[in-house]
Amino acid sequence: MSLLIQHDSDAAALRRGIRRFLFVAVLATLALLAAIVVRQGLFRQTTSYSFVTDSAQDIAKGQPVRIAGFRVGAVADVSLKDDGQVVVTMEIDADHMRFVTYNARVELRKEGLVGSPTLEIVPGPDKTRLAASQARLAFSRAEGLGALANQVRDEFIPILKDIKLITGVLADPQKGLPGTLAQVRASSEALNTLLANGNSQVHLIGGAATRVLGKAEEDLSQLGQTLAATNARLPGLIDRTQQVLDHVEKITAEAEISVPPALREGSAVASDVREIVSGARQAWPIRNFVNAPAPAKLKLDSDLRGEAGRAR
Amino acid sequence: MRARILWVAALILAGCAAAPDSANAPTEPPRLKAALEAESDGAKRYGRGDYAAAARRFDEAARTYASIDDTPGAARNRLHQARSELAQGRAEAALLTLESAERGGDAGLVLDALLLKAQAQLALDRQAAAQQSLAAASGQCSAACPQAASLHLLQARAGLAANRAPDALAHAEAALKLLQGKDEAAETGNAWRLIAAARLAGGDAGGALPAAHAALEIDRRLALPEKIARDWLLIGDIRKKVGAGGTAAAYRRALDVANAAGLADLARIAARALAADAPVLQGGTP
Repeated sequence: MSLLIQHDSDAAALRRGIRRFLFVAVLATLALLAAIVVRQGLFRQTTSYSFVTDSAQDIAKGQPVRIAGFRVGAVADVSLKDDGQVVVTMEIDADHMRFVTYNARVELRKEGLVGSPTLEIVPGPDKTRLAASQARLAFSRAEGLGALANQVRDEFIPILKDIKLITGVLADPQKGLPGTLAQVRASSEALNTLLANGNSQVHLIGGAATRVLGKAEEDLSQLGQTLAATNARLPGLIDRTQQVLDHVEKITAEAEISVPPALREGSAVASDVREIVSGARQAWPIRNFVNAPAPAKLKLDSDLRGEAGRAR
Repeated sequence: MRARILWVAALILAGCAAAPDSANAPTEPPRLKAALEAESDGAKRYGRGDYAAAARRFDEAARTYASIDDTPGAARNRLHQARSELAQGRAEAALLTLESAERGGDAGLVLDALLLKAQAQLALDRQAAAQQSLAAASGQCSAACPQAASLHLLQARAGLAANRAPDALAHAEAALKLLQGKDEAAETGNAWRLIAAARLAGGDAGGALPAAHAALEIDRRLALPEKIARDWLLIGDIRKKVGAGGTAAAYRRALDVANAAGLADLARIAARALAADAPVLQGGTP
């Protein structure tokens, strides 16, 4: 009897233990679920905005939405309207609503030039009025590689057209290089004719040269007058030069007196330096480490140059 | 960092500990100290082979000693100066310097002066004068005088110059015996070189070669380019006499050493020897 009573009490204890374990497991599961829900932002207060675009390219549900580089929300829905336009709805944290002004626009940007696309809300210049909830914002795409390629192509096409035009003009038989060469040839023939004319005109120059010589004679007589004037002024100039030379001589003599003392001063400075070094050597505690040298004794060497070995 | 601080502290303490003794120690007067420093500096330069600078410093030291009436100091430095001039190959200048040292008249240095004088005279090929100087030096040097080996070596040189090879060999060997066990490497090298030259002159070329190599070995150890080049010349001469191979190689070594050391005269001698040896080589002599 006592054995049966004992068995019942053990079974009851086991049941209690199982119930406790199940209770704790259920609590843990609930806590985990709550954490996941909070992490997913299900209890977060959000506001939705939308924008319309021609294409949903690079836009997808769940794509992050940023303000000044900070993630503030995500794309909640991307849907196609009857007229072919795409409506994109974004969920933004209510905390960040204060940055979304009424004239804010949404830009589709890429991280770097070829990175993953993100939507960036760029607030407008007027920050006093905020956008209402569910407001429709303006949208634009930042220029990617395709846009750059288009821009380069747009720049290049006119240049290529110009090159084509220039080469066409150069190849033109009338106005291009062939025409120019023909003109040069014609010009050289004209030059030959001109030289022939020049030869005939040299004879005419002979007469003119006679007239020039007459004029040169007049000029020479004028030069004679000038030389006479110079001759009159030259003694003064020589006197002046003599004065300058005297001055130089005087300076040299003064230098002769002043320079040797300067050299002596230099020598004195060197002597002073030597004295300072010598004084430093005698100063305590340096003198403890510097001993006065003993008289030198050179090693004996009766054949300093090794001359004895071989007849020179 | 801590170790460095400890070192500095230890040095300061050592300085403090040494201060009282040195404070009481007598200090040399400045001019005497200057003379001693010039002399010491000259000796250092002489040791480094900078003979021109050494001669200048010894001259300065001699003048400073003379200015404080220290005749032995002045004479000693004149001898050092003469030795430096001889090492430069300026034997005439050395003789003039020795004259001024003799005017100082310090008896203790007379023997050294006579030996240097003989050396200069031998360098100038004044054999009679050298013999006189050596005779005077012999009178000053007893058997136990420290310069006995040098005296023998100079007598050997004089003998060799006068074509008295046996006499030269005897003196050189006597010098070598005196030099045994002494720290006189330069003189030992000189002795071996003289033995080699004397043996060569006496017709014993076979015995000359090892002696010349012994001299070369010592001169290499002392790193004396001029002597090394002359040793190689001597070795070349001996090999030529013996008829052994390698004569040109020896002369070439002499030429290379002389060129590298900037010894133009010696390089010319080596080049001449090499050129003279060339026909022999063409004739087929090994």
